[in-house]
Amino acid sequence: MRTRRVAVGAATVVVLLAAWEALVRARHLPEFVLPAPSQVASSAWRLAPLLAHHTATTAVEALAGLAVGTLAGWLLAVLVAVLPVLGDIAHPVVLLSQTLPTVVLAPLLILWAGFGPGPKVLLVALTVFFPVLVSTSAALRAVDAEHADMVAGLGGTWWHRLWLVRLPASLPAALGGLRIAATYAVGAAVVSEYLDGDSGLGVFIQRSRKAYAVDQVFAGIALVVLLSGVVVLAVVLASRLATPWQRASSPS
Amino acid sequence: MTPVLVAAGLTVSFGGLPVLSSVDLTVGDGEFVAVVGPSGCGKSTLLRALAGLLAPGASVSGEVTRPVLDGGRPAVAWMPQRDALLPWRRALPNALVGARVAGVPAAQARDRAAALFEEFGLAGFERAWPHELSGGMRQRLALLRTCLAGRPVLLLDEPFGALDPLTRRRMNAWLAGIGLAAGGAAGGGPGRAVVLVTHDVDEAVALADRVVVLGERPGRVVLDLDVATSSVPREALLEALVSPAGIR
Repeated sequence: MRTRRVAVGAATVVVLLAAWEALVRARHLPEFVLPAPSQVASSAWRLAPLLAHHTATTAVEALAGLAVGTLAGWLLAVLVAVLPVLGDIAHPVVLLSQTLPTVVLAPLLILWAGFGPGPKVLLVALTVFFPVLVSTSAALRAVDAEHADMVAGLGGTWWHRLWLVRLPASLPAALGGLRIAATYAVGAAVVSEYLDGDSGLGVFIQRSRKAYAVDQVFAGIALVVLLSGVVVLAVVLASRLATPWQRASSPS
Repeated sequence: MTPVLVAAGLTVSFGGLPVLSSVDLTVGDGEFVAVVGPSGCGKSTLLRALAGLLAPGASVSGEVTRPVLDGGRPAVAWMPQRDALLPWRRALPNALVGARVAGVPAAQARDRAAALFEEFGLAGFERAWPHELSGGMRQRLALLRTCLAGRPVLLLDEPFGALDPLTRRRMNAWLAGIGLAAGGAAGGGPGRAVVLVTHDVDEAVALADRVVVLGERPGRVVLDLDVATSSVPREALLEALVSPAGIR
């Protein structure tokens, strides 16, 4: 079942790429309008060392932002569970921050946090923070009364219930939020690189666009897509490792 | 006999629906009390009230006096009807939750757990996830967890409901034999006691010193019988417990 899904997905991508290649060749489209996949691949190959450098920068920013944002979101969710009034205080601020588009926030962050990777990590963290906070908070609120009562019935305190029941019970939902957040992380890093910086896939794409090197723009885009995929895959694998009982309960 | 656990005039209702009606129950030091009654008579509610675990929505009148250990730590361990095993912990860590909550040193708890896994027929399943265990095994694991808390007073809500007759007999023997000792926090403090809720009259008579029968909802004590010293033959006693005439 699973191998068939993977095979069909891969075949679809191959067919689309072939159609694209055929279209460009049949219509003799110039490279600066729409390069063929083969042209993109060959320029990516030619620029491999440079691209590796830019990709590494973006990957580090995305992963660092993912870690910081996840940790912050999870921590705030736990704090709100411990002290509900904190939730009432944080709620409007968090909600407001989510209505601010990344692109308008980025210049301010650069203004305050300076050039370099700092503001980019911060921007990714802000993007990631919200889904993790929301999903963890919801899971912490939905206490399984059965388990909490069991701990209380053994003489456990509120802290025992938090530590032994609520926190571990919220882990799958927190990881679910992280999986959603992971799909945003690379994109947020690239957007912040559009605005400033001297390294990263966003920088590379901007420079290529200004030079009308459309094949390089496409190479950059392809790497953004690949990097996003790798980050999501890593998060999915990590969350499987972190919740072994779930894997065991649903053999697929 | 010193009373360990006392409910006096306990009346409980949920949203206007009366569940328990002025229940008086005194459990003495070293006593094994079985609470029996038809389904829905409030047995579990009584046990929850004794454990101090009534839902916030319940309106309660009357008084429950629970024992405490030195330093105000609770002396009661309650075992829910459903096993409430934590799905993210393997069998052994699940069993150790009781000890963890009670602050029993980890090494000591592990030693006791190893012995009890053997005795409860769970040896070899220490690393199994709860969902990999049968209903009966889960229930035994839940009882094990409750015993490892080392509280002197055990409140057990149908601990053997999911067991096959043979295993049930074995667990009954275990509970009858060392049940009272099992709760044992070493020396001092309040006395030991077991309150067992069951729908199995046979089990109640076989295990308990006293059998308390609750009537139909709202639950009230319709019979409180000392079966340890009773000279009535067991069959006659069973008859009396199950027939409405005997209850009156």
